Amino acid sequence: MAFNYDQYLRVDKMPTLWCWGCGDGVILKSVIRAIDKMGWDMDKVCVVSGIGCSGRFSSYINCNTVHTTHGRTIAYATGIKLTRPDAHVIVVAGDGDGLAIGGNHTIHGCRRNIDLNFILINNFIYGLTNSQISPTTPQGMWCVSAQNGNIDPTFDACKLAIGAGASFVARETMLDPKKLEKVLVKGFSHRGFSFFDIMSNCHINLGRKNKMLSAMENLEWIDSITTPLKKWEALSPEDQMNKFPTGVLREVEQAEYCDMYEMVIASAQGKRGKITQDDFAKKI
Amino acid sequence: MFKTTNPGNVPVWVNTDNCKACDICVSVCPSGVLGMRYEPTSTLGAMISINHPESCIGCNECELTCPDFAIYVADKADYKFAKLTDEAKARQAAIIANKYMSLDQAGVK
Repeated sequence: MAFNYDQYLRVDKMPTLWCWGCGDGVILKSVIRAIDKMGWDMDKVCVVSGIGCSGRFSSYINCNTVHTTHGRTIAYATGIKLTRPDAHVIVVAGDGDGLAIGGNHTIHGCRRNIDLNFILINNFIYGLTNSQISPTTPQGMWCVSAQNGNIDPTFDACKLAIGAGASFVARETMLDPKKLEKVLVKGFSHRGFSFFDIMSNCHINLGRKNKMLSAMENLEWIDSITTPLKKWEALSPEDQMNKFPTGVLREVEQAEYCDMYEMVIASAQGKRGKITQDDFAKKI
Repeated sequence: MFKTTNPGNVPVWVNTDNCKACDICVSVCPSGVLGMRYEPTSTLGAMISINHPESCIGCNECELTCPDFAIYVADKADYKFAKLTDEAKARQAAIIANKYMSLDQAGVK
């Protein structure tokens, strides 16, 4: 008896609409196994997804789901989390969804450190709309919207999340689903904003003009640009520029937004006085 | 519905309704159990086939990396898996060199 995904999926929607070999399916399976390991009740889980290939996520997983507008996933998820603090909210966005059009929301979700699990599926391209450059597309790659080669520098999403103040930041690839599942469990059990940058493949739209025609060729390329954090730290600064570190990059305990919002509720109900700077450990 | 129950004392089995023939399971298998066969009704013209179930070592890699919920591996408690042999490793290298097609399907792709 293999792992039974039936109870976590909308089986009438199968097979998935993703292309053959798409990493989104592997990430969906890893998320399901992580939810199973956490032992969460599916009635208490809410998956919020935006537009793009990653937006299909909310159609396949059988729990409370919201398929929202482009880039506004964190805005919707913040509202859900504040009204239902006992719910486990998982936000799924692509690299165009979470970093380009929704980059603003991502920054402020990280800054508030609200207890969301933000899964950024990074496939280095706008896949659904057929190969336009996204913020994470590597320099020098061919795209439909950069036919002479892309000159825009590549975005490091984890550095943005660390800078904005997310309390759990991790990067993984879909090459090792067991490791991915472990990192997801670690992030799901963390209280605060958990940011996962999960690198995935798009051999259809990224690979077709960049010599990565099959899923495995694209995955080998992803393998060549990532390295575990400990090995990455030992590299010279020039080599560090060309590699992404994987693993848990930041894990700290920080005040959580829903806890702090309790003070606003108590203050409005007259149970306590006005909120002052003395209520916070960090004054500025 | 997924066919998650073992259809009858086999180490690995597939749900061909879900398989899209992406080759990932064939490339991650360490012991040359899997291969692609010519299938004109499939979108990509190929379909997964299990050629050497007796060499399966139960590493679960194909099940974990399948994006389409199509391939399943038996539990270690239910089935006695084989050890990894040099013959199996050589067969896997030959399958990858043959563009993931089964060895009896040479020259199709």
